[in-house]
Amino acid sequence: MSTTTAESSPAVNWEPRIIAYCCNWCSYAGADLAGTSRIQYPPNARILRVNCTGRIDPEFILVALEMGADGVLVSGCHPGDCHYTSGNLKLRARWALMQKTIEQAGVDPRRVRLQWASASEAQIFADGVKELTEQVRKLGPIRSEWK
Amino acid sequence: MPAAAKPQSSRKVAARSSRTAAKPKPAAKQVAQAALVVGGGVAGMQASLDLANQGFKVYLVEKSPSIGGRMAMLDKTFPTLDCSACILTPRLSEVARHPNIKLLTYTDLEGVIGKVGNFKVRVIKRARYVKEELCAGCGACAKECPVEVPNEFDQGLGFRKAIYVGFPQSTPSTYTIDMESCIKCKRCERACERKAIDLEMEDERVEFDVGAIIIATGYRLFDVRRYYRLGYGRLPDVINAMEYERLINAAGPTQGHLIRLSDGKTPQSIGFVQCVGARDVNKGVPYCSRVCCMYGIKNAVMAKEHNPSTDVTIYYADIRAFGKGFEEFYEMARTRFGVKFLRGRAAEIIEDVRTGKLHLRAEDTETAQPQEFEHDMVVICPGIQPPDDLDKIAEKLGVAMSNDGYVDVVHRYFGPVDTKMPGIFVCGCADGPKDIPDSVTAGSAAAMKASIILAKGGAA
Amino acid sequence: MMTEKAEPRIGVFVCHCGHNIAGVVDVAKVVESAKSLPHVVLSTDHMFMCSDAGQQLIKDRIKEQKLNRVVVASCSPRMHEPTFRRVVEDAGLNRYLFDQVNIREHVSWCHMRQPKEATDKAIDLVRMSVARAAELESLPIKSVSVTPRTLVVGGGIAGLRASLDIADRGFEAVLVERMPELGGHVRKWTHLFPADESGEQIIAPLVRQAEHHKLVRVMKDSEVVEFGGYIGNFTAKIKNHKTGMVKEVDVGTVIVATGFEPFRPFGYYEYGQHPDIITLAELQEMTPRADLIRPSDGKKVKKLAFIGCVGSREAGKLGHEHCSRHCCSAVAKAAADLRDRVDEVVIMYQDIRTYGRGHEELHRLARSKLVIYSKFPKEKKPVVQIANGRIRITWYDVLSGDNLEYEPDLLVLASAMIPPADVAETSKMFSLTRSADGFFNPEHIKLAPLTTHTAGVMIAGAAQAAKNASESVVDASGAAAKAVGLMARGNVEIESTVSHVIPELCSSCHTCVTACPYGAIAMDTKKSPPVALVTEAKCKGCGTCAASCPSSAIIMYHSTDEQILTMVEAYLCPSTQTTGGVA
Repeated sequence: MSTTTAESSPAVNWEPRIIAYCCNWCSYAGADLAGTSRIQYPPNARILRVNCTGRIDPEFILVALEMGADGVLVSGCHPGDCHYTSGNLKLRARWALMQKTIEQAGVDPRRVRLQWASASEAQIFADGVKELTEQVRKLGPIRSEWK
Repeated sequence: MPAAAKPQSSRKVAARSSRTAAKPKPAAKQVAQAALVVGGGVAGMQASLDLANQGFKVYLVEKSPSIGGRMAMLDKTFPTLDCSACILTPRLSEVARHPNIKLLTYTDLEGVIGKVGNFKVRVIKRARYVKEELCAGCGACAKECPVEVPNEFDQGLGFRKAIYVGFPQSTPSTYTIDMESCIKCKRCERACERKAIDLEMEDERVEFDVGAIIIATGYRLFDVRRYYRLGYGRLPDVINAMEYERLINAAGPTQGHLIRLSDGKTPQSIGFVQCVGARDVNKGVPYCSRVCCMYGIKNAVMAKEHNPSTDVTIYYADIRAFGKGFEEFYEMARTRFGVKFLRGRAAEIIEDVRTGKLHLRAEDTETAQPQEFEHDMVVICPGIQPPDDLDKIAEKLGVAMSNDGYVDVVHRYFGPVDTKMPGIFVCGCADGPKDIPDSVTAGSAAAMKASIILAKGGAA
Repeated sequence: MMTEKAEPRIGVFVCHCGHNIAGVVDVAKVVESAKSLPHVVLSTDHMFMCSDAGQQLIKDRIKEQKLNRVVVASCSPRMHEPTFRRVVEDAGLNRYLFDQVNIREHVSWCHMRQPKEATDKAIDLVRMSVARAAELESLPIKSVSVTPRTLVVGGGIAGLRASLDIADRGFEAVLVERMPELGGHVRKWTHLFPADESGEQIIAPLVRQAEHHKLVRVMKDSEVVEFGGYIGNFTAKIKNHKTGMVKEVDVGTVIVATGFEPFRPFGYYEYGQHPDIITLAELQEMTPRADLIRPSDGKKVKKLAFIGCVGSREAGKLGHEHCSRHCCSAVAKAAADLRDRVDEVVIMYQDIRTYGRGHEELHRLARSKLVIYSKFPKEKKPVVQIANGRIRITWYDVLSGDNLEYEPDLLVLASAMIPPADVAETSKMFSLTRSADGFFNPEHIKLAPLTTHTAGVMIAGAAQAAKNASESVVDASGAAAKAVGLMARGNVEIESTVSHVIPELCSSCHTCVTACPYGAIAMDTKKSPPVALVTEAKCKGCGTCAASCPSSAIIMYHSTDEQILTMVEAYLCPSTQTTGGVA
């Protein structure tokens, strides 16, 4: 059940496609601040806004990978700072299990990233997108991994 | 919820000149459940909204054809680089559609009598020669108008027609004819499908009663011509900061292209000169204008954003980045955007006629060396002064002024938004320079104080 | 609860935002690409969609084209979602049938040098939003009443002023202060500016009025220990430390005026190593007397020095990057006041920020009394050493270009204003976010400085950012106006985005009951077997329950599984493209 790191010739014009689930109160606002501060980061992520990372069902991540997302970013409030007191902790509890599941499906767990970025942490948000994009670029297109 | 007071009369000034002013009311003290706000910039709009949201009627009087004030002219705002129009526009429509706010634009304050709880207000609604209730703001009239004059809203850098709105988000969107430029060709009248144009329109006097008054008359920029050696007014590529705002604004006269006024070329090197008409006892402006450091830095960052290779230098005395997020923004301008900061007052700007370059002479006070710097464009960042007509308005309202020309307040702790006349409050830059959030906060505070009077029954 | 879904007719409106979007993103291309998407009957653009003309365009097109869903691609919904929701509502559409695409903060501003990629991203985001729009459903518009009482947290100058304004306006204020006395830091200070009064003189009348006002309920020695509810209907439990009693109060609005703490700069300039090195706050608290006395030996101070920006303006040091705003003027005032009592005063500074009304005058007064100002460079701060019990400062004076030294009898450090030690708990209690300076975030830094993202909760004074006492007073009155506005109206609209359990699908596993952070879900024992039931008034819409339900029995309105996953699909497997099109 080892993961395969696809060195197998990615298409020439291949660009990583990343789904980013962001909570409305911290990370979506952090991404807004990255924009107003004109912080530049790779254009590979598509942000989906949810009220709270607690809303994120592991299925949302699995479905995204299955549909061909090369990476999934989940970004929420820091533990203890959740706008809804503890939604992010519920997500964190699900996270380990979810990682196991995708690993069992043969997908490299490094394709999913969980990060905490507050409304003022524009740089952390942008760095997160950048690091995941680079990571996924190294891993290659997801199509090569599904078993 | 208090009942809204209605204007008592609305009549043509010319039609009646008799001034059989208000007869004293017979009954006991009756408080008008309405307020007057003078000035429709951010502070006045906020004060109006906070009163109207409590259920009080508000008469918002603005002398220009649209509300929005100075903020409407700005391109971006510090410290978040938010686009000014984007954040202001919803505020404009919120004011315009509020059922408790009566918007009186293109209107001057004529006179006020009475006292706290019971002021009688007279205003003159100047004829705009376009009927507000009919005009849909389509602009068909302006297309037909053959007269072009410099647009005040664009600081005279762009043009408008004799029938015009100053800017796209103008509120109300009603057009206005500037009769001084109009040649009465009547092409606009023919172009208007809604028959909104009335060239015979006359000024109208409106009278109403209010229980409290808020002054929010804003500011004007210091006239930098008074510093002859800086060359403003003589050298075309020395411009002031408000002109710069219009030059970088997408809705401005150059569609947002930052160019030199002399030759239309993109400047490769820009200098920003701070503290012009501020902190200068000799020019009668001993105080700090609070906003120039930050708008200067913001404009410098915008120059870098328009063209990252531009060389940008700010000439300053002290960088006063004191508000929330300001110091962080200053740091970002230095480190991320590469704006250069040089401590020293600019002494003189001269033009090299051969190259068209500007030479700025300043002492770098950190090295104690007088130096000369070359720029394609120099932006002078003027300080803030009380608006021209503030003294007249203050006189009509009977409020005391401080010796630097601003409205005086009772006490910085016990009455920071109270003028010395009971029932009359002040906010925004009318009592001294302020940035946008401080103006907005003062607007809310003034509304709070006014609402106590309106709710209580006039006891100050 | 929901009406039968009509065939979606979606209108797409793309905003140029002047140059902000159109300068990077090819708006025409975005408009064109949206035209071929499923259910889209119209796609168009405008210079400023939020302007009156733009809003009118949306309203007109809704009517002409009988649109029943609207997508606006412009700025962040955190800014303009309320604007456009109102626009569609004016045109007769339910506000929840609107979706906004953020192609400014998330596209044009963060990919400024990649116009092609930015345009592709905008096209994708619009396609995703259109897919979501097709799945959107109307929700009922709900309004709740507002309890006419305000909880004011913190009895400093801001809390006092806010409470008095609310009470003078005819509403009740509950003022909670954890210390045994009202008045906060200001009460202790001797050198307020620009007024000539002492802190005690400013505070005493406010305290007297608050304690005697019949509409102000003062609770000293007390703290809010529990807080819940929603705008208009909050409940706070307030504990008295002395008696141990806990009281519950219902309030409609809250003003958080928890202020600041003077930073104790251990590790800076030998603070704590010598009794004659003190902070500005400690100087302010010294009992005024004819002579300025040295704490170490009670002798008269002859040479007095100040160092500015201690723990402020330190780039890269979290919580200390901000300017503390009040110190420059406070130092100028203190120096001018004390100059007459000592032989010499030296102020070491980075920039002199005497910005306010009357502040520059204090600076000038200090200079006219021959207070010595000396600028030190940002990157080379003064060095303080203690040798044989003497304080010795060496520094580089920027303006003369000389290295200087000085041995003061008393060294005053103008230390930063930082949030109180328990700010994190306060932030959690009232669901407030904080900015990098550690203070609370306002709803909008320019135009909404007093309200927060938690509806019904306001901030005032130094809780929002470092500021001086006279500014806090203005803040307080402004925040009071916001609270009064809500209370005077009597009711307020709330979000309908709550969760709902489908009883037929519920397997009675209780997972959601434990997942809900608000105790909004309980088992409905009237049903057999008992199934989960959401109390809508308690639900805040986080959706944690929906994500945890193993039976997919919970619908999170406006954020349903379908509404989310259809966006994922629209991005990765767009239906208009015949082949997958991926590498």
